Amino acid sequence: MRCEDCRRDLTAYLDGELADERGSALRGHLRGCAECRAISDAESTLRDGLRSLPPLDPPSSLWAGVQAQLAAAEAADAEKPRWRRTLARWLPVVPRYAFGGLAAAAVALVIWSRLHRAPDEPAPVAALTPTPVIVEAKVVPPPVDLDATADLAAEPAHVGDEYRQAADELLAQAPEIQKEWSDAQRQAFATKVAALRTQAERAEVGKPSRRAWEGLIRYLEGALIRSDVALAGGAP
Amino acid sequence: MKRVLLALCVLTGVAAADPKPAKPPINGGTVEVAPAGHPITHVAIDNPLGDVHVIGYDGKTLKIEPRKQAPDEEAMDRLRVSLVANPDGTVRITTAVDRDRESKPLARSAVRIDLVIHAPRNAKIDASVSAGKLVLENMDAGGELDTASGPISVHNVSGEVWTHSLSGSTQLVQVFGSVDVQSMSADVDLDTINGEHLVASAGKGKISGRRVHARDVELTTTDGRIVLEAEAALRGHLVVSSLHGDVDVRLHRHGAVVVKARGNRVELGTATTRTSKADGWVTAQVGQTDQREVAASVELRSRYGNVQFSIIE
Repeated sequence: MRCEDCRRDLTAYLDGELADERGSALRGHLRGCAECRAISDAESTLRDGLRSLPPLDPPSSLWAGVQAQLAAAEAADAEKPRWRRTLARWLPVVPRYAFGGLAAAAVALVIWSRLHRAPDEPAPVAALTPTPVIVEAKVVPPPVDLDATADLAAEPAHVGDEYRQAADELLAQAPEIQKEWSDAQRQAFATKVAALRTQAERAEVGKPSRRAWEGLIRYLEGALIRSDVALAGGAP
Repeated sequence: MKRVLLALCVLTGVAAADPKPAKPPINGGTVEVAPAGHPITHVAIDNPLGDVHVIGYDGKTLKIEPRKQAPDEEAMDRLRVSLVANPDGTVRITTAVDRDRESKPLARSAVRIDLVIHAPRNAKIDASVSAGKLVLENMDAGGELDTASGPISVHNVSGEVWTHSLSGSTQLVQVFGSVDVQSMSADVDLDTINGEHLVASAGKGKISGRRVHARDVELTTTDGRIVLEAEAALRGHLVVSSLHGDVDVRLHRHGAVVVKARGNRVELGTATTRTSKADGWVTAQVGQTDQREVAASVELRSRYGNVQFSIIE
């Protein structure tokens, strides 16, 4: 997933409206991209702040005032002659149609001139030079100037994510190493990893979470690098 | 909870007058905390905003020198160093940025708090930083140090030392006590370690050790090279393992040593005798044992890297 895709889908993701697969891809991208993660955190912080605002009920007089102004506008509209009302209805769309018509005429003119050009007529020099391509400028979001408090609050979760990633990288090497293991050893390993992982995922964010991830990583190192699992169950 | 909170000081500090307005304000000063009844035995420090440097000394008080930096006075006022001293001898120091909805947003990179702390030697130190340097020196009761990306440096410390690092390097020099180092991706450098246990893992980083003397040594990396110059303890166990990295161990021995090695290419040096190969393992013994003596055991392994071992007589 690219950064622009991530940022386009971020609002839907935070609203919980993104499909599972797309949401998973976005989560994966956020783990690896500090810039997008910072934007996501800023957005989340803003949403949390908005949610924490007390509900505000508008005074009943406000709606009454709006209704009165609408009624006055309708009464004034009724006073206008019919031709002015029709003109007012069409006026906003006239420029759009005019522009569309002009563009269509230009395209038709170009096609007609190409079709009716003499075969031996040399092509205009301008046609050989590459047409300048107007590339839409890449929209670079302004740097997120997160407030230090939000940044500090978000850090433990980011660090936890880094540990999770380290554990996943180690775990990805398991299949190759496990080839030398017996079924019982593989089963014991899977059970232990699942238990430690659950513990790490459920640990309180911050030091408890870091320690739990470190515990899993130490176990993985022992099992995969030092073959502690294999040795405990007898050499394979 | 019977523990009584004795003091809660918030060290706001007054911004020092700055002769050059172009420079950001820097705030300093020293705060001294005297033990309240019980001597200070444990200092816990959490500073996610900068460096922590703890130096042990022979006094009984805790001297804290916070050095704050901020782009302007308003930002300086938001920087806090909090100190809680408990009667049981525990002191907790934390730093923070005050939440202020009315002020303009303050980027974390624009502010900084560095702490220099002189602590009684006998106090145990638990400290954590984020990207700042974490230094512990001249202490006698060890400690636990935590960093995300900043470097950890421990020098002349007795007692058990634990370090945890995500991507900051770890350097331990002259540590007299058991050591447990865990680093996910940064290098670990060990020099003059003398304790019962030494456990170090560096993930993708490399481990280098010199003058290491511990009964049980366990060094592990996934990708990084491990280079160790150690002294074999009597009846000691030395396990050095890497998944992809090379392993190079040089050992000073005082008695017999049994070496077991497995790797892409294994070299056990010329001083070894009785070499045998089984299941990919190369086993050798250096020196003779009698009935009373148990040989030190050395296990060296690299799944995809080379293994090299030699004896320094």
